[in-house]
Amino acid sequence: MSRGNGLDPKQRRALAQSLTRILDASVEEALAGLADAGPEPAQRLGMTGPPGAGKSMLICRLAARRLERDRRIGVLAIDPTSPVSQGSILGDRVRMETVAEHPALYVRSVPSRRAHDGLCDNIADLLLTMEGFGFDDVVLETVGVGQVEFAVRSLVDTVVLVLVPESGDTIQAMKAGILETADVIVVNKADLPGAGKIRAEVNAIIRRKKGDGGWLPPVIMASATEDNGIDELDDAIERHAAWLAEHRDREATRRERSRYHMQNLLLRRASEVLDGTAAESFDDALPQLFDRLVAGLTESREDKVGRRT
Amino acid sequence: MSLKGKRILIAKPGLDGHDVGAKVIALALRDAGADVIYTGLRKSPEHIARVAVDEDVDAVGLSILSGSHKELVSEIVARLDDLDAGDIKVFVGGTIPPADHEDLKGSGAAGVFTAEMTIDEVLAEMDRELAP
Repeated sequence: MSRGNGLDPKQRRALAQSLTRILDASVEEALAGLADAGPEPAQRLGMTGPPGAGKSMLICRLAARRLERDRRIGVLAIDPTSPVSQGSILGDRVRMETVAEHPALYVRSVPSRRAHDGLCDNIADLLLTMEGFGFDDVVLETVGVGQVEFAVRSLVDTVVLVLVPESGDTIQAMKAGILETADVIVVNKADLPGAGKIRAEVNAIIRRKKGDGGWLPPVIMASATEDNGIDELDDAIERHAAWLAEHRDREATRRERSRYHMQNLLLRRASEVLDGTAAESFDDALPQLFDRLVAGLTESREDKVGRRT
Repeated sequence: MSLKGKRILIAKPGLDGHDVGAKVIALALRDAGADVIYTGLRKSPEHIARVAVDEDVDAVGLSILSGSHKELVSEIVARLDDLDAGDIKVFVGGTIPPADHEDLKGSGAAGVFTAEMTIDEVLAEMDRELAP
């Protein structure tokens, strides 16, 4: 089902400004902005994988295919925030230029800020905001792969893990990790030596899932720069979506997303309280300080804990 | 410094392929706490204006070494106006003769930076212009 395509300039400006407000929102502000009933969910895709694997360019190629089907596509591309300056360089757009002019595509670069799970501070709120603007697809590009990026699993429908032939050691490290949570695995830069070996290794790991009757992640050989393997990727995503429609417990999914959202709000609130605590307070005995700060969690931010600056 | 938390697009319009200056500024802005969006080389004014709107930036920094700074700056300012985003400030840096500085400011540039300036001077001026 397509909900129409292009965003007009006014909608773009409104969406962009809403996202900025939510990026900078305190927990209190974020809560105030939440509607009782969320918007109609988009098809959410998560693109994860080590830095340099080609996630941005794959998104660009995939978007080109899906835009042809009249889908409105929004991309949130997360890049790391410097722990030193709190600044960031957001460069994912550079790789998305070939579809960047399309009226039905919206790309937003997002700094990770203090999030340590490969996502960014207010990601759950950002996703809901995007969905409020009628996107058919919302694509989330994570910072890079790691054990910590399980979080993306809670937020999206289909997790696409992007590997490259040089990822051999990474795979070793990931055996019990994100490899098992990925729904579709792409070996990108498959024209490079070692691609076949990676595919064999990955297959050996995921084949263990065979027999439990669940979804078996396909492994797709692709080259984003050559535009190869993209139709197969698109097809795998759609097959996974069809599988979800038949097998997924909608209520459980909604609850899991809600749980992540709540965890995220609580952690942010804890950070706000810590930020508002004077340095000398940490001289105090920790049990007493703990009780005081926990009490502070429910205080209004109006008191002393401001937006982090 | 009020650059902290600001969103700034660093873009290279026109045909010259030298982006060292753009990257140096991008890194300096990041180190000052800004979120810097970088678009790559040879972007059209329409493209730069659209990205500026989509990314909801506070300012656009243009790096131009091709000599066509006058045309490109007025074009980008006009495209931003078309998109109802005239409040986004435009800065320009590069090989820009002193004689052109006033013209550029007349066409809407909030600041003009040259190779003679230090990074700190550039940041200080952007900071002043973007202060609330």
